Amino acid sequence: MSPFQRYLLTKTGWYLLAFFLAIAANFYLPRLIPGNPVDALVARMAAGGGAEGEALRRIYQHYISEFGLDRPMWEQFLVYLGNLARGDLGTSFSVFPARVSDLILKALPWTIALQLPAILLGWILGNTLGAIAAYRGGWFDRGAFVGSLFISSIPYYCLAIMLLYGLAVALPIFPAGGGYSYGRLPTLSWSFLMDALRHYWLPFLSLVLIFIGGQAVGMRSMAIYELNSDYVNYARSLGVPDRRIISYIFRNAMLPQVTGLALSIGSLVGGALITEIVFGYPGIGTLLFSAIRQNDYPLIQGVTLLIVIGILLANYLVDIAYGLIDPRVRAVQAGER
Amino acid sequence: MQPILTVDRVHAVYRLPNGAEVHAVDGVSLSIAEGEILGIVGESGCGKSTLASVISLTARPPLYVSEGRLIFNGHSVPLTALDRVPNDWRGRVIALLPQGAMNSLNPTLRVRDFVVDVLRAHDHSIDRRIAIERARERLEQLSLPPRVLDSYPHQLSGGMKQRVVAVLSTILNPRVLIADEPTSALDVSSQRALVNLLLELLERQIIGSIMFISHDLPLLSNVADRIAVMYAGELVELGTTPQIVRAPQHPYTRALLQATLVPERTIRGRRIEGIPGQPPDLRQPPPGCRFHPRCPYALEQCRRERPPLETIEGRQVACWWVARQHRTVPSMEGLAP
Amino acid sequence: MDVVAAPQKHTVVRRGPLRLLLSILRLGGIGVNARFWVSIGLLSAILIFGLLGPALLGKRDPLRIVGGLYDPPSSKVWLGTDNFGRDVFTQLMYGTRTSLTIGLIAGAIATGIGVAIGTLAGFRGGMVEEALMGFTNVVITIPSIVILILLSIAVQSRSILAMGLIIGITSWPWTARAVRAQTASLRAREHLDIARLSGAGTLSLILWDIIPYMFSYIFMAFVLQFASGILQEAALSLLGLGPSNTISLGIMLHWSLLWEAVRTGAWWAFFPPTVFLTVIAFALLLLQSSLDEIFNPRLRRK
Repeated sequence: MSPFQRYLLTKTGWYLLAFFLAIAANFYLPRLIPGNPVDALVARMAAGGGAEGEALRRIYQHYISEFGLDRPMWEQFLVYLGNLARGDLGTSFSVFPARVSDLILKALPWTIALQLPAILLGWILGNTLGAIAAYRGGWFDRGAFVGSLFISSIPYYCLAIMLLYGLAVALPIFPAGGGYSYGRLPTLSWSFLMDALRHYWLPFLSLVLIFIGGQAVGMRSMAIYELNSDYVNYARSLGVPDRRIISYIFRNAMLPQVTGLALSIGSLVGGALITEIVFGYPGIGTLLFSAIRQNDYPLIQGVTLLIVIGILLANYLVDIAYGLIDPRVRAVQAGER
Repeated sequence: MQPILTVDRVHAVYRLPNGAEVHAVDGVSLSIAEGEILGIVGESGCGKSTLASVISLTARPPLYVSEGRLIFNGHSVPLTALDRVPNDWRGRVIALLPQGAMNSLNPTLRVRDFVVDVLRAHDHSIDRRIAIERARERLEQLSLPPRVLDSYPHQLSGGMKQRVVAVLSTILNPRVLIADEPTSALDVSSQRALVNLLLELLERQIIGSIMFISHDLPLLSNVADRIAVMYAGELVELGTTPQIVRAPQHPYTRALLQATLVPERTIRGRRIEGIPGQPPDLRQPPPGCRFHPRCPYALEQCRRERPPLETIEGRQVACWWVARQHRTVPSMEGLAP
Repeated sequence: MDVVAAPQKHTVVRRGPLRLLLSILRLGGIGVNARFWVSIGLLSAILIFGLLGPALLGKRDPLRIVGGLYDPPSSKVWLGTDNFGRDVFTQLMYGTRTSLTIGLIAGAIATGIGVAIGTLAGFRGGMVEEALMGFTNVVITIPSIVILILLSIAVQSRSILAMGLIIGITSWPWTARAVRAQTASLRAREHLDIARLSGAGTLSLILWDIIPYMFSYIFMAFVLQFASGILQEAALSLLGLGPSNTISLGIMLHWSLLWEAVRTGAWWAFFPPTVFLTVIAFALLLLQSSLDEIFNPRLRRK
């Protein structure tokens, strides 16, 4: 077995373990709630007058068999695993009888469309800014650094709230929330897209600013660290020109930044849940918010599972890519150190 | 003895962020001849490594050179403005063999790629293959394995890395090699291998001369032709190795020798003593001779006036007490420790 | 071996708490770091407001209803009322206190667990290290927000202590990883060999010969964990999973979002907690970055 295969195998093993633990937590923790969640649900439905008699009993039966609540815990877990393997995340409590997977699939495109461009743009602009600040130094560096530190230290939801109030309420430039105008139906028409775009800018801006700040701070400190390193001094002493040395520095400083990019894409689903809540944007965050308010456990579990999968997958791919790219990691695999 | 490089009255200060200035090197002048090994010795913090970075043209903030010139082949360059030093001086006239080669090489660059960068810095048109070939020949000439060219720095052992760095430092056949504590991080056998390598480089006239900076007086007494002793940023004594080791004049040199296990007949059998007290705070150096607070022979004059470097007994010494002894007792034979 | 010229890089400066404080004050005091003093000023102001405010202005119940829906600020209610007609100023005082307390508990627990696991792994090496770090890496990859959400749902009645505990036990892995690296670099130092030869056990070595040398590092890790604890609490509260029967900065934001304070222009309901969270987060980050520069001169420019 080649060292890389061995590395691949150990990594895969650890990630499978992490995935298993996450699924177990996802399964087990909501079942710690005192009492039977289905009883509580049915009681609430009866009190609300939404369903009666036969209908109520049918709903009750549906959930009891879906969760296997009448069976021992380990059997319930096997049922849960079996359902997951088929991609079945269960039936929502709050929007009966909608499938959890359908609800998530409807919300996910909004979240991706909001976050992916924000992450990419913020990454590019932030790294450029940080690199220039580290290289230029002086007032540009001080200004860019303190500014970026400030922006990136603002909790992202606080910036979202301030932007919403400032640019949609106090100065009504943008619509005050939502993914599209009230009363419209999502269709693939030109006028709908333009309307959605109008609602897009403000949440997008609130995310991009935070990403720029965070990336700039990280890139700057990485680059300064590299600038001060001995190899820079040594290369200079042998007359290696500055532009070559800068390419060393940025190559070395970029490695962790690329990792950061992959990880932010992986944590995209759970990364800015509250931005969507603040803006009332119809993505995963808003879905989770209403699920929590209505104790819709299957839906909550579905969302948390999605977040876990995204992050584990991104981490896994980054680790594998690192094993391929970074000679230091490669050396450790080969036992050369 | 015709000097190939002269270092003229170097003053260098560290400017601390709070505005304080540390005068790490204060008015040091030296010269080195073709084929010579000049040792520079002193306690840590005496300014010898600072002097090394000034002479090797690698001083960088917070270190500033406030005065001083280098004279090579009749060309004089100011050390105060490093950007006015012609770039072909770096690596060709003067090269640095840095302290601790561990971090001197860019971790993500193969040795051969660095070789290409260094050779290209001085000959833009050189073909990549020819550059690597030249390095290969050099390594073979010095009986080092040419495969190190294909390695990343971390793949080399500590001793091998230091030897590879020595080869890289001398790839442009520099006239003066500034070796800054090159052996301090190595085990004994690697130390010997490195010293032999340096001697071979000198013998084959690949390099013109070596300025060997070390705190290890026994080592220097074995390799150096002349030794300069530094204390608190100043040169206190400079003479041939036998003069310094067998008949030291300056009280500090004597103390340094006493504190060192030297297998020389005149010293052997003495009690090992440290020097009482500590080196002075160079933010506020003591007036007069900087060694006077720790000197058992200190005179009233030593507290007030700085002793000039005078030629006594064929070597240069900066000490009022030695000067006085020399005036009253014409012969120094009986005084040698 | 030469006695005089023993290079200083082998001597280690032991950084006990007192030394740490002294070096912070010395370096901060001579203007190395304006950022340090700005952060200290901001933090003291918030602390005094949250801890001494209720004592100075008299105890009040932050959950008592004193007015109507979003009454604007007046001489009676300085920062108006919230959606339930409760006094925002009083809520802000008690909410700050709650948020700081939760952050403190979470930070202390996370730092404690992280230091324990990190030093043990870094110091013992071998199988112990592999097992502990493998576990840490597994926990690190499982996103803490997920565990936070699931735990918060499982614990139906959440006290302040429970919140701090939940956040603390989900956020230690970063500290453990960083502390392990630091410990591993200390492991080879001479003074540890001497202590080991004198027969000291693992626990005593870690307590007396490792932790004191990384005190500055651990302190900075704690500052970061403290900040992240406060923000995690706010995030959970915003999702509707905050501490029960009390008020925190996050819960204030939760209600003002739910009752449309932003869109109806009731700025007094959401602006104060937003500003407070921002200032706390900024000040702690500033403190951490300035301490980092004080302790790691390599990061300093000029």
